[in-house]
Amino acid sequence: MYVFEHALLNLGKNKGRNILLGIMLFAVIASAVIALSIFNATDSIIENARIEFNTMIQIRPQRRQMGGNDNGASTVTLEDLHRFADSDYLSGVQIGVGGGFARGNETVFYLRSPELLYAFEAEMREKGLPDDWAVFRDESSYRRMIAPIENLQDISLTFLIVVMLFGAAIMILLSVIAIRERKYEIGVLRAMGMKKNKVVLCLWVETIVITFVCFVFGIIVGTVLSNPVAGALWTGEGQINIALNGITALQILGASLLLATITGAVSVSRITKYEPIKILMERN
Amino acid sequence: MSTLALQNVTYKYEGSSKNIFKDVNMDFEKGKVYTIVGKSGAGKSTLLNLLAGLDTATEGSVTYENENLAEMNRNRYRAKNAGIIFQGLNLLTNATAIDNIVLSMNISGVSERNKKAKTYSLLEKVGISKEKATRKILKLSGGEQQRVAIARALAHDPELIVADEPTGNLDKQTEDSILKIFSSLAHDEGKCVIIVTHSKKVTNIADEMWGLDKGVFRQMTKDKK
Repeated sequence: MYVFEHALLNLGKNKGRNILLGIMLFAVIASAVIALSIFNATDSIIENARIEFNTMIQIRPQRRQMGGNDNGASTVTLEDLHRFADSDYLSGVQIGVGGGFARGNETVFYLRSPELLYAFEAEMREKGLPDDWAVFRDESSYRRMIAPIENLQDISLTFLIVVMLFGAAIMILLSVIAIRERKYEIGVLRAMGMKKNKVVLCLWVETIVITFVCFVFGIIVGTVLSNPVAGALWTGEGQINIALNGITALQILGASLLLATITGAVSVSRITKYEPIKILMERN
Repeated sequence: MSTLALQNVTYKYEGSSKNIFKDVNMDFEKGKVYTIVGKSGAGKSTLLNLLAGLDTATEGSVTYENENLAEMNRNRYRAKNAGIIFQGLNLLTNATAIDNIVLSMNISGVSERNKKAKTYSLLEKVGISKEKATRKILKLSGGEQQRVAIARALAHDPELIVADEPTGNLDKQTEDSILKIFSSLAHDEGKCVIIVTHSKKVTNIADEMWGLDKGVFRQMTKDKK
């Protein structure tokens, strides 16, 4: 218990160093919140779009080798389209009609789920879809729609990786400097009989408390800034809405604790090298 | 019967071939004050580090209550059995006098409910007022810091007190009162007090005086010093 009390007292005693550490951690956490929120939001948009696209099926006459147009292809009538649309595999259909004629290549069939494509195609063939008509998904439209989102996702992922690596490097550096500064204190505590694991626990508690405070502020500021940042990076149409969900918050908390533990591990590795007598002789 | 004993103790620094002392045999009993004198650099503080469980002998053994310190839990020994007053004081400088002593009690597992009250009483005993007790160590004079270090060493009521020049920074009046405390700890409370010193005044309270010269320990009589 006293280890926690000592750790909390130490937080107040070493304000300068702790504030510096806190600012760094806060910047890392807030940046990570922005990056991860954008990444998760775009991931969800891409996933929804992929599911939606994979259920949108169209048919069209296959292009002939000669002339590269549809001339001479079999025809699909409005009756054919209604017959195809009468299927258990579909959740809906949008039949293309123009100039009083059925337009098969403007008709969109909505599958109940993407994996029903082959079963639905087989059913349409049975119902009379000519062999020279192809069943397809409009991949180019999908690519066009998804490209700016993927672009934003790539930026957020790269930013997240850079922030985490940079943050880890800075935190380890600060931790090493802090341990150098606190070498004497560690020597005194060890000379008084404090066990190594308690010294380590004390340092770890200090880092965890700072991490938690920075996590709270980082989450708030990161959430507020996520939408403006995403808006600035978004090159697609309309607007993109970023919201922090519980899973993202937990991911950030996990990453922060991991970061704190990595820096704690650096401290541990250095502390175990010190014998109290050597530290105190060096000092005295 | 000895509480602390050196048996054929030889010590040399890591990487050095020169012995600081060789084949030392000494017994320390409860209820007595021992002083160790000798020139600077003779190895007195090194000996004290061995007795305090901060270092181990190159050869031979240091035993506490017949247990070899090298084989026992020396953290526990330092926390519970020994009270150490370092020459360099080794206080936590960014903490108050009170915090230093309460922390020491906590490390030692002192079960006292009101540790602060006990700390104030200890500090008062060594001449530190309540107002000064709440100051950070750096805001205290050298003599006051030394008194805090003494109070800290006594805070967990150890059986053995090991002190390196404990009165070096004290004025005569304070030195007298501190020496009275050491004397009382040994003679009234039955503790073993071992003091490294250059001060004749300190040697005057000793029951046994030992000299260290060129790696050899000799028992001395007070008038021989």
